[in-house]
Amino acid sequence: MTTLYVLDVPENLALPKVAAEDPDVAVGRIGPYFVISAPGPIVIDRRATGCRHAVWYSSVAAVAPDSRIVQHDKDALRVEPA
Amino acid sequence: MRAYGRVMDHRVQGVDHVAFPTFDPAATVRFYRDVLGFPVVHSICAAGWGPEDHPDFIHFFFDIGNGDRIAFFYYFGARPEIGGAAGAKGDVYARFGAEVPEFFVRSRHLAIHVDDEADLLEYRRRLDESAWPVEMQIQHETIESIYTHDPNGYMFEITRAMRPVTPQEDLDANLTIDALLDVVAEPEPTFGKLLARKAELIVAHAAEWEPAR
Repeated sequence: MTTLYVLDVPENLALPKVAAEDPDVAVGRIGPYFVISAPGPIVIDRRATGCRHAVWYSSVAAVAPDSRIVQHDKDALRVEPA
Repeated sequence: MRAYGRVMDHRVQGVDHVAFPTFDPAATVRFYRDVLGFPVVHSICAAGWGPEDHPDFIHFFFDIGNGDRIAFFYYFGARPEIGGAAGAKGDVYARFGAEVPEFFVRSRHLAIHVDDEADLLEYRRRLDESAWPVEMQIQHETIESIYTHDPNGYMFEITRAMRPVTPQEDLDANLTIDALLDVVAEPEPTFGKLLARKAELIVAHAAEWEPAR
């Protein structure tokens, strides 16, 4: 299982939206956070989100202890089971 | 939870003053008073006293809005060498070698707030007509800032928020800090460990959070 958390603020809204285009990805909520989860990897394409640097590189609020970020660069964010 | 609600009275009222030394009071007054239009609001003319052979000095203040002030010390007879050898980077107070990374040199700075884009651009106009033009104007998506260095080499920023701060950002900031304290209490803190600890804190605390308490 892979889980990441994104804070619900206006400039982050594209992340759960783009992530949810993958049918394996579920987007839920806990308090003011989006909970983005999947049985396998979660991949979010930066250009699809329209985020520029400052938002893109600070958009991850947390990553579940059983998951880890393996890519977070100008192209994509990729989180996999640890 | 540790500090997610405000426990103590918060009685402070902003910046009274932040103070820096200057060896060039003429340029400092030009920059803050004549270019930016920050009024001179206070000054102290003092003969040196005390055990440390303190020089005579002028301590002078400019209003930076809200009654907050930036202040300078000019010491008669003091030369920049009093602070050590000149650095390849830094300012008249903090001197750094050429090998010190720029992100570190720039990390200590003063940012002054304006309300909107029109005000930001007005200060940009004033600076661009001066000997200290804006060096960078950056939109960080949620804030927009202009930067220059004052005549003393101090990095100077004016910034505006592009949207109001939301209540959930206060929660997130507090969870971040609690996670940070937990990971720096252990050996070899990393960003990955912080994000993992923060996930645990979100699971434990975020569901019960309610905005606008």
